Amino acid sequence: MTQEDKKFSYVQLLETNNLIQYVADESYWLCLTRTVQESKLYPVSAYILLSYLNAFYRYPELLRKIETRMKAEDIADRSRAMGVKLQASQMTWCLPAFYLLGRELLLSYGLLRPQDAVEDIVYVMDFWKRFQLSWQRNNGHLSNAQAGHRAQILPDRTLEVFCADLFHCQPGDRLHQAAHAFMASASQYAFLASCESRINLTNSGPYRIDAHHELLVRDFMDMAECSLPWLDGVAAKVPFNNFTVTMSVRDCHFHLIDDWGSFEANPTFTADKLAGVGLYVSDPLSDGYIPYGMGSVTELAETFEALNETLKEATNELWMRMAAWSRDQLLDAGALTYFTTAKELAHVAGVFDVSDWLEIDPRADCFRPLLNDEYGNVALAELVGKLTLPSQQRSPFTMAKFADRPVSMCTPIPYSILSGDDYIPSTGPIQAGGSSLPPKADRYRTTRGTLTLSEYNALAREHVPETCTDPYRFLCETWVKYNGHTPLADRLYQLEQRHSRTLRGRGTNPRGQ
Amino acid sequence: MTDDRYAEAPESILVEATHNAIRDLARRKLAESGGDWTGLVQGTSLTRSEVEGVERRLLGSGYRFAWSSTLSLRDRPEIYASAGGALDDATFSFRHPAAIIAPADEAGREQKGVGDNVVQFAANVMGTALYVRTSDKVLQLMREGVGKDTIAIIDDSGGTLTAPILSQFVAVICAGGTVRSHLGILTREYGIPCLMNAKLSDIRSGDRIELETSALARPVETYQTGVEVPARIWKLP
Repeated sequence: MTQEDKKFSYVQLLETNNLIQYVADESYWLCLTRTVQESKLYPVSAYILLSYLNAFYRYPELLRKIETRMKAEDIADRSRAMGVKLQASQMTWCLPAFYLLGRELLLSYGLLRPQDAVEDIVYVMDFWKRFQLSWQRNNGHLSNAQAGHRAQILPDRTLEVFCADLFHCQPGDRLHQAAHAFMASASQYAFLASCESRINLTNSGPYRIDAHHELLVRDFMDMAECSLPWLDGVAAKVPFNNFTVTMSVRDCHFHLIDDWGSFEANPTFTADKLAGVGLYVSDPLSDGYIPYGMGSVTELAETFEALNETLKEATNELWMRMAAWSRDQLLDAGALTYFTTAKELAHVAGVFDVSDWLEIDPRADCFRPLLNDEYGNVALAELVGKLTLPSQQRSPFTMAKFADRPVSMCTPIPYSILSGDDYIPSTGPIQAGGSSLPPKADRYRTTRGTLTLSEYNALAREHVPETCTDPYRFLCETWVKYNGHTPLADRLYQLEQRHSRTLRGRGTNPRGQ
Repeated sequence: MTDDRYAEAPESILVEATHNAIRDLARRKLAESGGDWTGLVQGTSLTRSEVEGVERRLLGSGYRFAWSSTLSLRDRPEIYASAGGALDDATFSFRHPAAIIAPADEAGREQKGVGDNVVQFAANVMGTALYVRTSDKVLQLMREGVGKDTIAIIDDSGGTLTAPILSQFVAVICAGGTVRSHLGILTREYGIPCLMNAKLSDIRSGDRIELETSALARPVETYQTGVEVPARIWKLP
């Protein structure tokens, strides 16, 4: 590779290394403080390592394919109007971290040098940066961590609708009980459907309602027959794929929403603090959040109760299915759950392909014989917790952020490639892979009914949410601040209010004054 | 590691042995290619059978891997250390060296351990201990039902093993994880009292026990600072 052929500059490498270090530091904090995870059912650590390797070999090409249809920043703009797997943790942490940790593992195996796959690394991190900056454009940060562990994503017009349409509830009443039971069952089912991970759950906010109330937005995702093949059949009765619960909480401050979408509250959030609730569905075809069961208090309680029963039944059926799987099937399902954390990008762009997202690349599968339970546990612990792999050691003078030791989770790209050191630019094209799981049935539950993949992709390619068209797309919160009195602002707010029970047609004058 | 100024060996001997074996393979492939890294970087040099050879060599030394998923043990018992029958033993009891115990108090309660309280409740909870350690046990409970005052003792901090039956327990003791592990999150969602990261001694299935769920919930920051916030576990007379 000659200097003239290089597809990156010094500044790009500086920026890429900054992003790598940012992910490395935050990942260490998350892994140290948020979890100690094990499972008697799933070989969790082993499947996590397999997913990292699959991500390293496949993400660059899959992201490039997505951007042939739609840019990362455009997908993120659309994502703010739906509760799908394009949030924290899926995009804010998983996408860059899985990719970089796959690289780190291969560095430790001696199969890569720090300068190899540099074009892929620069591209993946740039894709992530563009997505994140767009996703978080209303608060101007790259991540929840950078925002002080807060996820203030939504615009004023969406929050106005969410707050106005909340149904009040209190401990002991039917809606309170039903909403509480639904959130517990949905969490349980989501952990199971995502093979003992948090990837199907997230929380965002908090948003201030008044001196005593905060709004938390809770998303339960990939709940129906979707692009996770193990939900075929067992999730047939789940009416929508993504559920968003808006939750007003009394006298409880959510002081932390991390990049895994987990929250901490003071005092601890318990169900008795739930003061209001709403329910929405959405997906890449829905053009925003659609209220579900929100016609009345009774209808919403009945909807939660019905969903609760459906999810309990699905949980039992899914558990029976998984308990009968072979270890290879458990390994594949877990690895694919992690690997497909970014698959919604392809659904939004209308380029989802089963062979892209639901296969283990043979280059990753090659390492399966190493991934016994013990190696999985100790290698993952060294990789993300102890930072004791050789590639993670630094000059003895180093005092790393959080760790305070001469270590870093991820290796930077050496700048010496700009002055002639050789490198291999890319891992090359993805290779035909496979999985030990039954093939995906050609059924995808969406807000426009159950579709084949071809129908789903075609509709996604046609669909442009109205707020992402001219003249609305760049009408940001700063524009609204100074132009709230204009007819254009009024139309923008009315778009958001199309499905609102209480604000429909009110525009920028929600109180009708 | 002579090509790395700062490298130290991995902490785990198994990781070191495994990675060294792969690095040996990589060096051989690189020599065969005349120093061209393309095949290694693009993942086309190594074959699955060569990687299987690494596992064979490890097992050939007599080493057997520790298992964590019971289904891993079920599928390939020959590569894992034996479970020793403890999983199905009706008289099994955890005997954690770190368990804090105390003689019977005036009410006859013997302290048999401690755990990290997930949520502070107004009162302690009492019930009958039941170890739930395998998917077969979960299946049995799905068929036969969970007793009305059952306190599950689980050594799995995940949320999947007990997914079909978790909501039926009056409380949970988990011998692993933290208050923010999946099981901790789920019990909080259900409103089920739960002690995580428990250290127990001499509690068996069928024992009547009491959990100090009125104790302070352990703040997540204390896992960094190392400050213990123990909630007690008693065997009742």
